[in-house]
Amino acid sequence: MPRVLLLIPTSTYRTEAFLSAAGKMDVDVTVASEHPNALARLNPAALLTLSFAEPARAAQQAVDFASTYPVDAVIAVDDQVTCVGAAICQALALRHNSLTAVQAAGDKYRTRQLFQAAGLVTPRFQKIAFDDEIPTLARDVDYPCVVKPLGLSGSKGVIRANNEMEFAASVQRLRQIVELENLSSPKDENCRAMNRSFLVEEFVSGPEIALEAILRRGELRVLALFDKPDAMDGPFFEETIYLTPSRLPGPVQEQVAGCTQAAVKAIGLTEGAIHAELRLPATGPVMIEVNPRSIGGRCSRSLHFEDQETLEEIIIRQSLDDDYESPVADVQPSGVMMIPVPSAGVLREIRGVARAEAVTGIDAVHISAHVGQKLVPLPEGSAYPGFLFARAATLDAVEAALRASHAELKFVIEPAAE
Amino acid sequence: MSQAEVSITGEPVSAAVCRFTVDRPVYPEKSFAFMSKEAAAGSPLAERLFAVDGVSRVVVSHDQITVNKTAQVEWPVIGKLIGAAIREHLASGDAAVSDEAWGNVPSSDEIKEQVQQVLDSEVNPSIADHGGVVRLINVEENTVFIQMGGGCQGCGQADVTLKFGIENSIRAAIPGVGAILDVTDHAAGRNPYYTPSKK
Repeated sequence: MPRVLLLIPTSTYRTEAFLSAAGKMDVDVTVASEHPNALARLNPAALLTLSFAEPARAAQQAVDFASTYPVDAVIAVDDQVTCVGAAICQALALRHNSLTAVQAAGDKYRTRQLFQAAGLVTPRFQKIAFDDEIPTLARDVDYPCVVKPLGLSGSKGVIRANNEMEFAASVQRLRQIVELENLSSPKDENCRAMNRSFLVEEFVSGPEIALEAILRRGELRVLALFDKPDAMDGPFFEETIYLTPSRLPGPVQEQVAGCTQAAVKAIGLTEGAIHAELRLPATGPVMIEVNPRSIGGRCSRSLHFEDQETLEEIIIRQSLDDDYESPVADVQPSGVMMIPVPSAGVLREIRGVARAEAVTGIDAVHISAHVGQKLVPLPEGSAYPGFLFARAATLDAVEAALRASHAELKFVIEPAAE
Repeated sequence: MSQAEVSITGEPVSAAVCRFTVDRPVYPEKSFAFMSKEAAAGSPLAERLFAVDGVSRVVVSHDQITVNKTAQVEWPVIGKLIGAAIREHLASGDAAVSDEAWGNVPSSDEIKEQVQQVLDSEVNPSIADHGGVVRLINVEENTVFIQMGGGCQGCGQADVTLKFGIENSIRAAIPGVGAILDVTDHAAGRNPYYTPSKK
């Protein structure tokens, strides 16, 4: 049987979905994480520890492992492990994105440079060091703008500023976020270098959409397009509702796919799952970012394909079979709501889950936060307390179900002591 | 029994797996997993199913038969052959699982004792480092019910620990164990060792 090496950080939401998908297939699975599983010694073929913060070292560890247990495919399930995945594939001579391309996709400034060089519509942008004279530089920035960390994901640290004063405050806040991030886990030199600067770019107005796709030899196949019905105008950019299939007219969807194809080409991505975020101003699609991984959180559960295949099955099959044809997405409207963190503090109780589940159209309510957990909203936080899933006859009904279900939930949060 | 009277519904679980539900019990109130063609030797239903080219795994449970196939064959082709094999088996009156195969399965009391031994000697000493504990709740026939507590309850890696650590150890020590079911209320975990935090 072929062996799939799943790179699963201990902090990911994606474990269950990938294990469930692999469990339905005739494959041997090895799960690699950055910390040892407590039972690793009982099953060394299936439980592996890799130095995720050091891609070159992790690649050597994977080569050593593969000498005993040959590996046929490597799948990075989250942003944190895309570079490690590319390094391992390169070392094992497996089909994958180049390490250079994956590193570029994880660096927002480099991404912008590559988009600009390829002639893609790109907001005005510049890289600034945290140690630069921020009040002076603030005078030269066009407002409204968005300050972004170069290397973080999931909207963490992304803040809109409408004037010089807000800009200075945003940069100070982002600096604290990045410094905390540096302390929270080991970083390689590339990452530490990225965290010494930040990106400032023009705020692009208009609705935001997300595209899920798979790449094979550089050719993009769109799996799903999500509308985000809630306006994302800042100051922070919290994800909430995703709806699919998109309400956008066919020609606009084709423009979005074309823009994404051009973006992955500009970066140099060629294989595997792709998750892209775009804005749609009146002038046409603007690529915000494109990442070599599948949709985050537990959102993939909102996608339904023919033959009951899941997104994770598609990703695993495609990694093993160069000629695999991914199935077509179901046309029945569905959606997911990433439940926003209501306020900062310690979660003491969650009320109304049964009522939220009982809302017509709701498929599932998944609460991922646990009582006693410290909840941190954006821009400092990076975790959702839970996810709501709905399917219905129309997109309006899906959206209404998600909002009604969310309204039933009450998170009792005790403000955290400073 | 006329083969034509037997109604069988095929429901795809995934591209590689299809669940066939028969309108009558095939293996009443029991389940048995055949992980290979070799394991099916002597069990008439499984032998018939493995005779279909492309069948790689068979799980028989009451009125359901879950079949895995290899990538080289298509369901529309082998689905009909599987249906015919099930009908042929029912018409034969043969047992679904041979007495010998079932006889090799330890009693539920024996399974209980051996699972507890695995948990005490291998699993719990290791997961204690993470503040975790696994308890044996019950064994019904050859189905094992366990519960995870402490750092394992609600842990973001509990699925990995269960599937590749606990299940693997139990199956290696006790051949013939059926499903291993986690009955933990993970949502109620108060102190999980790993908490999902990455958007």
